[in-house]
Amino acid sequence: MAADPLTLGLYARDASIIEGGCALVVLPSSADEVQACVQVAAREGLAIVPRGSGTGLAGGAVPLGDALVIVTSRMTRVLDVRPEDRLAWVEPGVLNQDLADAVRPHGFTFAPDPSSQQASTVGGNVATNAGGPHCLLHGVTSGHVLALDLVLADGARVRLGSEGPLAPGYDLRGVVVGSEGTLGIVTAVCVRLTPLAPVVSTCLLAFPDPLAAARCVAACIAQGLVAAAMECMDQASVRAVEQYVHAGYPEDAGAVLLVELEGLAAGVAHAVAELGTIAGAHGATSMRVAADEEERGQLWKGRKHALGAVALYAPHYYLHDCVVPRTRLPELLADVYRIAAEHRLLVVNMFHAGDGNLHPLFVFDRGEEGVLERVLTASQEILERCVAAGGVVSGEHGIGLEKRDFLPLLFSAADLGAQACVRQAFDPDGRMNPHKVLPAGARCGDFAMARGDGDLAAAVRSLPAGTWI
Amino acid sequence: MTPPAASVGGGLPPGARFAGGAVAGPPGWHAGDAPADRDLAQCVACGLCLPHCPTYRLTGLEVASPRGRIAAMRQVATGRRPLDRVFEQAMDLCLGCRACETACPSQVPFGRLLEGARAQAEPGRAAPARLARWIGLEGVLGHPPLLTGAATLASLARPVLPPRLRRLVPAGRLRRRPLAAVTEPSGPRRGTVAVLRGCIQDLWYRDVNRATVTVLARAGWRVVVPAGQVCCGALHAHYGHLDAARRLARRNHPVLAAADHVVANAAGCGAHLRSYGELIGADDLAARVRDLSVFLDEHGGPPLRHRIERRVAVHDACHLLHAQRVRDAPRRVLGAIPGVELVPLEEPGRCCGAAGLYNLLQPRMSAALGAARAESVDRSRAAIVAVGNPGCAMQIGAQLAARRSAVRVAHPAELLAAASRP
Ligand SMILES: Cc1cc2nc3c(=O)[nH]c(=O)nc-3n(C[C@H](O)[C@H](O)[C@H](O)COP(=O)(O)OP(=O)(O)OC[C@H]3O[C@@H](n4cnc5c(N)ncnc54)[C@H](O)[C@@H]3O)c2cc1C
Ligand code: SF4
Ligand code: SF4
Repeated sequence: MAADPLTLGLYARDASIIEGGCALVVLPSSADEVQACVQVAAREGLAIVPRGSGTGLAGGAVPLGDALVIVTSRMTRVLDVRPEDRLAWVEPGVLNQDLADAVRPHGFTFAPDPSSQQASTVGGNVATNAGGPHCLLHGVTSGHVLALDLVLADGARVRLGSEGPLAPGYDLRGVVVGSEGTLGIVTAVCVRLTPLAPVVSTCLLAFPDPLAAARCVAACIAQGLVAAAMECMDQASVRAVEQYVHAGYPEDAGAVLLVELEGLAAGVAHAVAELGTIAGAHGATSMRVAADEEERGQLWKGRKHALGAVALYAPHYYLHDCVVPRTRLPELLADVYRIAAEHRLLVVNMFHAGDGNLHPLFVFDRGEEGVLERVLTASQEILERCVAAGGVVSGEHGIGLEKRDFLPLLFSAADLGAQACVRQAFDPDGRMNPHKVLPAGARCGDFAMARGDGDLAAAVRSLPAGTWI
Repeated sequence: MTPPAASVGGGLPPGARFAGGAVAGPPGWHAGDAPADRDLAQCVACGLCLPHCPTYRLTGLEVASPRGRIAAMRQVATGRRPLDRVFEQAMDLCLGCRACETACPSQVPFGRLLEGARAQAEPGRAAPARLARWIGLEGVLGHPPLLTGAATLASLARPVLPPRLRRLVPAGRLRRRPLAAVTEPSGPRRGTVAVLRGCIQDLWYRDVNRATVTVLARAGWRVVVPAGQVCCGALHAHYGHLDAARRLARRNHPVLAAADHVVANAAGCGAHLRSYGELIGADDLAARVRDLSVFLDEHGGPPLRHRIERRVAVHDACHLLHAQRVRDAPRRVLGAIPGVELVPLEEPGRCCGAAGLYNLLQPRMSAALGAARAESVDRSRAAIVAVGNPGCAMQIGAQLAARRSAVRVAHPAELLAAASRP
């Protein structure tokens, strides 16, 4: 347990640019200890903020005011690996990479591979329904969580989902995955294991500009080329990355595409050839296939460190995360560059092209007068463009504090009210990670209100924000 | 779709703000060396360094992680927290292994930040701790006769020392016979190499120094061990005595700068000599310093005439791997010895916990790391573990002995000297 001001200050933020503050930090080392902490919080009426490694980019783990932060960094045991059942039970603080390393000797991996996989926890991945480059083929975290143990706000413990393929009843496991700590604290996760591919081929393609790369991606998908991962980086990201890893990315290319193909040897060879043809037709200027595991590792290291490497340009960043249908990618990218230019901002793009998941990254120095306001305005314009193009405001980083007020772009009052009702069912007092995910105005009552009585609606609206009715 | 419910982009709830802007008051630093704002700003708080930090791995505490330590420095730099005991402890628990630097994609110069932070923590320490550090660093280490005296005392007292301390004092006798000032090469001369003798290294590991001279001479170099060289000052810098470090650096600079090349066989000293540019502007010297393994890798080693039929594991000293970013050179140089089979260690790049004076100052953390390292050495089933730094050699040797392991600790120079016997 930590309560001195310096230590508390260190838990005030995650990897986003939002900062809060907390009253107390605890580091339980077992589910029993988590439960005991939660019971104390229930008795004292304290808000609870679960935290893994604090690599979240939406402020989900940022505490506000008098919160109790429960950190899982000491719950790092891999409890059980059962290759024959293709599953493993782990504590929530196990790092994604450590889990992958632990099951590799059995011929398996944990498929979700966020770029933060070396540092982020499985619990955090579950809570944000994390994605990653290889989720193009294997799907995001939700598809790899069979069951989980949860401690609810009142201290009750439940197991949701089941080890078997089909759990009876409502899929509450599915509700909790991606709930960003607002429904309870995950104390154990049963993950699905994915067999390692027999052959993996990593290709690096260079394009004159990111739009050409995006068009190539859309064409690959349209022609049925099944890639495990398709990642795009623009020139600014490539240059930053090369400073750090020297992976041999072409710094003169306007954009590069990193494509991974996996499967049986013959299938992969065929796919590499097909990729070459499609890329050639879409203006690719070069294509390189990684010769060995080391070269492959370097290429991926480059991609996975791209975010941090842009600190080369300026000390602060604001990373966006939004998704559009793949065919709209080129258009959206053009919008992103235009919006950035209009607001005199440096934007760097590196993204999960195969999923249509854009990550526009503004790089700036907060010391500069008015820059934050310009970044925030530009961000909002980008999100509005995404939604207008049929997309959504978050692909994988979650909503947290950062995006909650953008949800009304997507949902009506009734939709948000219904979501608030789900939340209330798990946590009637609203103490689990309050202020996160749902916008300030969203109330369970809005659901009833939207269905009928206008006077009730007016009455509800007159209540102070955040009131639960 | 039904129309939007509420206003969009309503801003942050009470209690939240955007990070990076808040300055609560003037910096809490004293005059003198301190972490630079520019270096602090380089950290984007991504957390990618966390799993690489040994103290975070063992404790799970943010305050024991690189990101947390940087954030703590920022709190002082922005006047939000004073320089207090908690800050001092946060900096003290750091190994200075710089694994976080290798892991950091934003290239935060953590070693430099830590030196500044330690310099700041120094004046606030309790008087006895400050005195002990002063005697150790500025008194003994900077003065060869005093150091010899202290080492002799430690050696004599070894049998009666408490076990924790006894393990840190190597068992062998101190060597009296000094190194030759000049050693001519066996064949035609390729140039002159100055060897940094080191202080601890030269007292307890003079055989390693001798092997270093021999190997270089057999590789065709005229080897000089300049008189007048003093302790390189690495420990002084790492423990916040930067002024003392600068004084020592200024003494070494002219003494070593005369040779074509400067070779260090202790990773910590080599790394520090290479930072003389930053420390005192001695870029000319810094650029010519090489670790022995790197030097032999770049210029070619001695002719290898004898086989060593052994499994050899290489333990990467942090100040070679992380501070100098050297991984392959020792492996290439040792792998060239006929008969040697290189075997990998688990958790490559993990600190052994020796970390300068760390094993004295933070015995618990140090022992936990040392035991883990010795265990992975044992599990590799190597016969020899090659270690290019005296602190690591003592630590791993002691921990292996405690496990009654048969693995022998050797410096790469010793193996190369054995393989290149005429
Ligand atoms: C360099 C970098 C690259 C990234 N790349 C990706 C990427 O490719 N894909 C991606 O999806 N994300 C990415 N992220 C974002 C982030 O790493 C993920 O969201 C990750 O899942 C967060 O894990 P964490 O352990 O750090 O969680 P935290 O940041 O500590 O917490 C995240 C959220 O989960 C909740 N939470 C944490 N643990 C629990 C628990 N045990 N029970 C209940 N709730 C919990 C917290 O309350 C919070 O709301 C990246 C981040 C960085 C810094
Ligand atoms: S030191 Fe580097 S890796 Fe660690 S949090 Fe800061 S920027 Fe990220
Ligand atoms: S120097 Fe080593 S111990 Fe210190 S913060 Fe960096 S990785 Fe951790």
